[in-house]
Amino acid sequence: MTSVGVNVPRKEAPNKVTGRARYTRDLCQPGTLYGLLVPAHVAHARIRAVETSAAKGLDGVKAVITGDDVSFLTGDVIEDHPPLARGKVRYWGEPIALVVARDAATAQRAANLVRLHCDPLPVVNSVAEALSEHAPLVHDEVGSYTIATPPAAPRRHSNIADEANVTKGDCDQALRESDVVVTVHVSLPQIDHAAMEPRVATAEILADGRVLVVSSSQAPFEVQKLLAQYFHLHPGQIEVTAPLVGGAFGGKATVQLEILAYLASRAVGGHVVTLANSREVDMATSPVGMGLEADVVLGAASDGRLKAARLTFYLDIGAYADSAPRIARAIAAQCTGPYRVDHLHADVYAVYTNHTYTTAFRGFGHMPMTFAIERAMDELARKLGQDPLDLRQLNALAPGDLSPTKARLTSSNLGNLPETIQRLKPLIGWTGGAPYAVAPHRVRVQGVAAFWKTSSSPPNATSGAIVTMNADGSVNLSIGAVEFGAGTKTAAAQILAEALRIPVSRVFIRDEVSTATAPEHWKTVASLSTYMVGRAVLDAAQDVVRQLKSLAAVVLRCAPEDLDYGNETVFVRDDPTIQLKYADLALGYQYPEGDSIGGQIIGRGRFMIRHLNLLDQETGHGRPGPAWTVGVQAVEVEYDTETHQYQILKAATVLDAGRVINPAMAHGQVRGGMAMGLGIASREQIRYGPQGEFLSNQFRTYKVLRMGEQPDTYLVEFVTNPQVDAPFGARPLGEHGVLAIGAALANALSRASGLALNALPLTPEFIWQQRRTMA
Amino acid sequence: MIPGPLEYYRPTRWDEARQVFQQLIQAGRTPRYALGGTELITMARTSQLSFSDVIDLKRIPEVMTQDQDGDWITWGAGLPLGRIAALDRWPVLTATVDRVADHTSREHITLGGNGFSLLPYKEAMLPFMLVDHAEATLATGAGLVTGRLPDYFDGTWRVASEDFLVSLRVRESEVRNMRFRSFKLTRLDWIDYPLVTIVAVRHPTGEIRAAFAGWGSAPLVSAEVNRVLSDTSRSPGARAAAAIGAMPVKPLDDVHGSAAYRAFVTEYTLARMIGELEASS
Amino acid sequence: MNIFRGPSTLVLTINGERRKVVVEPHETLLDLLRSPQVGLTGAKPGCENGDCGACTILLNQKPAKSCMMFAVDAEGQDLVTVEGLVDAPVQRAFLDHFAFQCGYCTSGFLMAAQALLLTIPHPDPHQITEWLRSNICRCTSYEEILQAVREASER
Ligand SMILES: Cc1cc2nc3c(=O)[nH]c(=O)nc-3n(C[C@H](O)[C@H](O)[C@H](O)COP(=O)(O)OP(=O)(O)OC[C@H]3O[C@@H](n4cnc5c(N)ncnc54)[C@H](O)[C@@H]3O)c2cc1C
Ligand code: FES
Ligand code: FES
Repeated sequence: MTSVGVNVPRKEAPNKVTGRARYTRDLCQPGTLYGLLVPAHVAHARIRAVETSAAKGLDGVKAVITGDDVSFLTGDVIEDHPPLARGKVRYWGEPIALVVARDAATAQRAANLVRLHCDPLPVVNSVAEALSEHAPLVHDEVGSYTIATPPAAPRRHSNIADEANVTKGDCDQALRESDVVVTVHVSLPQIDHAAMEPRVATAEILADGRVLVVSSSQAPFEVQKLLAQYFHLHPGQIEVTAPLVGGAFGGKATVQLEILAYLASRAVGGHVVTLANSREVDMATSPVGMGLEADVVLGAASDGRLKAARLTFYLDIGAYADSAPRIARAIAAQCTGPYRVDHLHADVYAVYTNHTYTTAFRGFGHMPMTFAIERAMDELARKLGQDPLDLRQLNALAPGDLSPTKARLTSSNLGNLPETIQRLKPLIGWTGGAPYAVAPHRVRVQGVAAFWKTSSSPPNATSGAIVTMNADGSVNLSIGAVEFGAGTKTAAAQILAEALRIPVSRVFIRDEVSTATAPEHWKTVASLSTYMVGRAVLDAAQDVVRQLKSLAAVVLRCAPEDLDYGNETVFVRDDPTIQLKYADLALGYQYPEGDSIGGQIIGRGRFMIRHLNLLDQETGHGRPGPAWTVGVQAVEVEYDTETHQYQILKAATVLDAGRVINPAMAHGQVRGGMAMGLGIASREQIRYGPQGEFLSNQFRTYKVLRMGEQPDTYLVEFVTNPQVDAPFGARPLGEHGVLAIGAALANALSRASGLALNALPLTPEFIWQQRRTMA
Repeated sequence: MIPGPLEYYRPTRWDEARQVFQQLIQAGRTPRYALGGTELITMARTSQLSFSDVIDLKRIPEVMTQDQDGDWITWGAGLPLGRIAALDRWPVLTATVDRVADHTSREHITLGGNGFSLLPYKEAMLPFMLVDHAEATLATGAGLVTGRLPDYFDGTWRVASEDFLVSLRVRESEVRNMRFRSFKLTRLDWIDYPLVTIVAVRHPTGEIRAAFAGWGSAPLVSAEVNRVLSDTSRSPGARAAAAIGAMPVKPLDDVHGSAAYRAFVTEYTLARMIGELEASS
Repeated sequence: MNIFRGPSTLVLTINGERRKVVVEPHETLLDLLRSPQVGLTGAKPGCENGDCGACTILLNQKPAKSCMMFAVDAEGQDLVTVEGLVDAPVQRAFLDHFAFQCGYCTSGFLMAAQALLLTIPHPDPHQITEWLRSNICRCTSYEEILQAVREASER
């Protein structure tokens, strides 16, 4: 192979090092008007009025819209979300008005003149408060909302938006029969995606009725679908373009600004309006990542074999449901981690609070879920006096086992966890996990954690690819997956190049995606793009080859089966000198006499995910994704037992990649995920004030990892047991670096400090506080 | 993006600057002096501060001085912290300003802007609070006036709003070879506001003196704390613990850290600093 | 004394070219650079608060966060944006080390690195870290960026 398995530079890389790469905000056309959201500075209140007259009176202001002007509700599962606060404010930062003005400064001046008149309500400031007996209700009527995409089970007159359950065997009985039982309560704050490009959307309504939207979106086809639904338009009327996206991490897979930009444009007669989040609005007003409170009870035999698990997860989903029901089901379906547990009971509750609403975050719920399970696994290892890696290996799910939702696992759909564990040991220089002193008050220790993840995609997710051949035999590839840094486009080009046996440089691919020209691709999420797009590309490549051969067969007067291809030629298998160049066939073949046959080579390919189903609402049984990627992660830290400061010396990941399409990009994805996971575990946290005030809306208060704070050494290796139905066997790996590294850090620091550190972030103050509580 | 509208004045003489300021006030406007402009821009953008006019002082020669004149080392209020560190005329000042914000931002943030910051920290001022001969030059109605820093600043400035800081200076003979430690303690990150920044010196008089930013709502020094820190009859740990008890105000309790945790980090850091300052080298 | 009231004309040098531009006093330098009249969108708004460095440019050969300056303050100064880099070793090194993913932070990192190498041609790792932690990257592990800058300094 020449194009797959090699370090092909990103297709768009030269543009990115010259400032020529264009993101949504770089495409502003002359005459654009500026929209601005006015965030509420109260977390829970009944709205009496939103006063806009002063703002409207300002010179240069074109329109001011409030919730009074927008009567429909949005939400991709539960329709509970007014685009602009209506009747009630449910979180600090919720938009109460949308200003459209000549320029950004005027819009800001107008926004400062909007007044909210409201009656404050008691604030639901945590999951515990939401579930308490006489809790104020975030939504008065959860039961009355339309379920746009079942399943979802809102509980009437409560703050529970949805619940998912999984049951297997007899959990109570098995816990009673266990030799060892550990109980862990885990508490994780909401976090922010903090993509470096804040979200932005531009909308324009043309006179002919077409709607042009440009958005920093991971899901342009979803934008198209929902705009059509909410505004009663034909999907074909709506053209959504997603240029290069400046980081996404799940936060740009939901649809928010696009709806508001459309409303803004509609309010000004269809004029082009851009709506760009400031960092503050991006953090507090647009969705964040969910918080978690979890109770984990694990029962095991004295040899460490897991017998039972009782798991309860409460997700702090904030004020609106968004993707929470899907995420709740993803957590339920993978709730045990990559371990075999025959007796299981798991409940996952999506809980409304007066916090910023949440959406998918890199890992789709698997990161907080993994933290809970892996903390409990480490406590179990400590209690049993067992090597934590041995414990994980002993319990690893294997081909032939069933997943928690009774999906059958095979050597293709399940990566090989024991092999990754064996590979990790020499990689990090495994010490067994016991702390050892290196200086007065300073200890070193290693911590480990394992993960698994599947896509939890809808069972009808689809993807496509169109290949057109240029006159010189090079090809243009059109796909619907967005490029936000994961290298999706480059990987697709590599797969096509490999299949057509041409150099990657002969594949041309556009940076942006337009729903008007690209084939439908569900969403660029769930690390699924290489799998789905790759399969569609392979299908398209086959179509191209078939067309090349059938045209060449006519010209060369042979059967298509007599032909082979390579080196940009189609040739007769037993006499390769009888050949035609791709270039000779690309736009049809012209005989020396001038008459021609064929026509342009246009390959089309498509792929639809198969054999998935929605989890049964009663039993929770079902098949949540095509395959599970597995891996194990470790950190080595040096910890000061007096000041509770620590340094991360090493961080390691071994995962079963099936097959690596682009090693440099794959390592980069995994390392980047590890850096993000370590940042989340060590410092990231959205803080709310006593009245639900959003306190962490800038990088001054929402701290992310910077250079110098990364581990001294990153160690990443792949084992390669192919997933047979994936392109070249490649398993998804885009999100996975983030999944268990935080748990590994917590496990390391728990061992170093002798405490059970079950909450994030792991600041020295938090450790100090745990120590004080113990004393 | 700043809402504006704004008018921007760039005087080249200090008296011109004061004059414009007063005229604007008389006209019912809300002018602000600016040096680096970083705080004005960030606060205007988020509507935490509104002002109608900016009077940029950076083209006034006295505000940009970087002289060493006889025994006096002078820093113009308009020098960016990065420049002050590069000049490296006073090691404790270099070490302290090198921990404010980040490297690029220090090319913007100035000594005067940091000193007059609306934030509680004003970290660059800490070294000046530790010496006997620190002086401030101000542009006032009575001309350029130079006086002892404590007469104008004890963590909070007592200067008329139309007056502005021109420069600060210390005596080389006092600060030469002065042993020091400058530590910034944060929640976790290298780039962050301080939980507490402590600058401590061993003054030629033998006394240990410490100045604190982040502990309270303004930077502070305390004679009582310095007395406790200097009591060589007690161990560094005992002195640090006593110093916490002697602090004149309670520690802040905010998103960066709780009051009790601030006290904890301050105590162990002070103990370490005393030990290092007194270690024979 | 210069006074800027309403739209004002000023002259400055951008990527080696002396230009006359019209700015409002409340505009930041980042606003000006990205505006249609200058049209240099390489410097990115990431926070407009001085925190992320995505808007970093060279101002008289020093690194500057263009969101932290009034545009009028750049009058008469020499600015270089990422578009002004021509075959700088650091650009090649970023390509070779896969030192970006989404690329949104890249202009800022390149300019901070370029400023570093102009000031300290052979920085040690500590100096690289001290200069570049002015910037945030959410995608990479920083390791790639560090290595790219290190290699660029050795070229
Ligand atoms: C990215 C970033 C990180 C930061 N991190 C820190 C940190 O770690 N520690 C810390 O202490 N601060 C930090 N700050 C805040 C910083 O303290 C202020 O932004 C900065 O000190 C202001 O300096 P400036 O020169 O830009 O002042 P300007 O914005 O020009 O002015 C600040 C204030 O001082 C007034 N003023 C200016 N000049 C004078 C004068 N000569 N006389 C009287 N009043 C005057 C102005 O009217 C204004 O109110 C940070 C800022 C940024 C942008
Ligand atoms: S945009 Fe200027 S520092 Fe973030
Ligand atoms: S490459 Fe995406 S933020 Fe750095």
